[in-house]
Amino acid sequence: MALRSIYRGLKKNNLLSPLCNSCSHLHSHSTSFGYKEVREEEKSQMVGNVFTSVASSYDLMNDLMSGGLHRLWKERLVSKLNPFPGMKHLDVAGGTGDVAFRILESINNVGRRAMRDIHDDNVLDETQIFVCDINPNMLNVGKKRAQERGFGDDKSLVWVEGDAEALKFEDDSMDGYTIAFGIRNVTHIEKALAEAHRVLKRGGRFLCLELSHVELPIFKDLYDYYSFSVIPALGELVAGDRESYQYLVESVRRFPSQEKFAKMIAEAGFDKVEYENLVGGVVAIHSGLKF
Amino acid sequence: MYRSAARRILPAVCRRTGHFRSKASPVRFSAPIIHPAAFSAAAASENARNHKPNNFEASKISSSSNEGRKPRVTDRPKAHWQEEQARVLQASLRHVVRPFLPNLQFYYSKNDLLIGWDRLLNFIGQISLGWSDAAMIAGAREVGVSPSIVGSFPRKEAALVEFFMDDCLQRLIDIIDLKEDLTNLIPSNRVAKLVRIRLEMQAPYISKWPQALSIQAQPSNIATSFKQRAMLVDEIWHAAGDESTDIDWYVKRTVLGGIYSTTEIYMLTDTSPDFRDTWAFLDERVREAFDLKKTVQEQTWTHYLASYPERKQQYFAIYLHTTPVRHPLGLEVLRNRKPLNTNNRVSACHHRSVKKYHSSDWLQNITNLLEDAQDMQIFQAKYLAEAVGAGMGGSVQGFVNNLFKG
Repeated sequence: MALRSIYRGLKKNNLLSPLCNSCSHLHSHSTSFGYKEVREEEKSQMVGNVFTSVASSYDLMNDLMSGGLHRLWKERLVSKLNPFPGMKHLDVAGGTGDVAFRILESINNVGRRAMRDIHDDNVLDETQIFVCDINPNMLNVGKKRAQERGFGDDKSLVWVEGDAEALKFEDDSMDGYTIAFGIRNVTHIEKALAEAHRVLKRGGRFLCLELSHVELPIFKDLYDYYSFSVIPALGELVAGDRESYQYLVESVRRFPSQEKFAKMIAEAGFDKVEYENLVGGVVAIHSGLKF
Repeated sequence: MYRSAARRILPAVCRRTGHFRSKASPVRFSAPIIHPAAFSAAAASENARNHKPNNFEASKISSSSNEGRKPRVTDRPKAHWQEEQARVLQASLRHVVRPFLPNLQFYYSKNDLLIGWDRLLNFIGQISLGWSDAAMIAGAREVGVSPSIVGSFPRKEAALVEFFMDDCLQRLIDIIDLKEDLTNLIPSNRVAKLVRIRLEMQAPYISKWPQALSIQAQPSNIATSFKQRAMLVDEIWHAAGDESTDIDWYVKRTVLGGIYSTTEIYMLTDTSPDFRDTWAFLDERVREAFDLKKTVQEQTWTHYLASYPERKQQYFAIYLHTTPVRHPLGLEVLRNRKPLNTNNRVSACHHRSVKKYHSSDWLQNITNLLEDAQDMQIFQAKYLAEAVGAGMGGSVQGFVNNLFKG
């Protein structure tokens, strides 16, 4: 696997690190890739490689790892968002389109149509859901799934390739911004948060669904055992890629805690920052308002 | 919304427990701390969903101080987003009963035939948005804020209803402060007038008020709506000049809560011009309640006395002659009581303090009796003391033996 050769290269670098770092410190910093320290420029490339290799079995692996719970989590995210017709929404790192499909279905819900104004219906055509992902393979999988679900011709869905740290959208143009299970893969989380703040309109909401820290005493140990023993083994069996899932589990541990992440969101300029723990902290939904 | 309600509770509680009316009693608490004690039910329901409202606005944390007896939401420095939310809700209220054009396209098939005729008629009946998130979305658009703010209200429609209730309470407080002619009326008229003023604020929304009531009755919302009604009732009684500190306080508020709710529901189906029938209904209920209050007080005391042997009925007689009778109906109740035989002791309604008068120490019994008589504020204890001193039925000792024999 290409991934294994990269790791070997990294190990060699680490042995020489005291000599190398003194000169390279001026130019780059190191960041975490799971439990390993890597150079920043390499992190996005390595993450890209991870997702290129898992793209085809991404959804299946999600189902297996979470026991199907990830669907409930995403539905909770969408209900918190409370989408409305005419909404301009941006789903970042939403490669395979799970969250975007749910939002679209919620807006087109028949039950809502009855109570609509004439004004509302004209506005319905203005609904736009942008799905942004840095990895084109994930976007392709998403487009295929859209076809299968019947959203293939829906003009509301727009697939965009882009980087969460440098979005190509205008200021104050989005009503909602979601990022589901994507923000821990970003190299500079603060930049992604700042971009989210820039792109949202006044009154827009930022929602982040992410695997987070469990503090409950016994459940924590069970969860750790499950994460480090079961998940990489599953990855090897189903996707043929143990390393990627090892990375996934480690990156969850390195991600800031709920409180710390909430502080980061507040520092980016969001108001009313709250978080909700699902399944005792395995997953947390952070939300913020822009004014 | 919830927090603004919590901020209003504190002065009401202070009023009840400490009579901090004329003094400035600053109470400081910062936004994240939710008021404990009596209203923790609402806090518990909030936390039950594992939801932690942690506000991390480092520079925007609002601390509030309540001074004196006039709580005002606007006095406290609110966080910017709370003001925006309040603006959105204020604008949404205008859309609750505003009629809008339904999209008839939904009811026409491709062949331009009208389908769903019954649905259409049903729909015309509800031709305004009502207390729904559609109204809130329209309100947000009006204010110029993205409608996704609606998702940030924890219980969307309930937030709108609760905001309206808070708003009406605030307007009632303002009216009370301005109107000085309330003191010219007798208490029952004061209460009736205040309830009427409050219900008139709901009149513009009466077509959609049943929906608001049903929203308030939902399990997740009932704690807050109960709290708001409790505050409202407390405010009305306070304005009517209520000074009670004992069990009366609870009785009064419960009774007024009942009157308010029944009048509110009566108003839903009242089609008379300007709700005249409702106000007549309200006046009837208030009058009945004020009559009932006096009768209950008399009855309680008579139950006290009913547990004593016949000898003590003589205190009863003293009471009749010496205490000024305050209500004709009460007097009827007393006068109509039949005198009891010594053998036929009326079974006591088991008042918890009956045991106080049955110890072996006669002096202690009389002392307890006198103390309780003073507490009841009806019986003039000195008259009892004089009666005992006059040696009814013989010498003091003989009297006392008779007293505690039966």
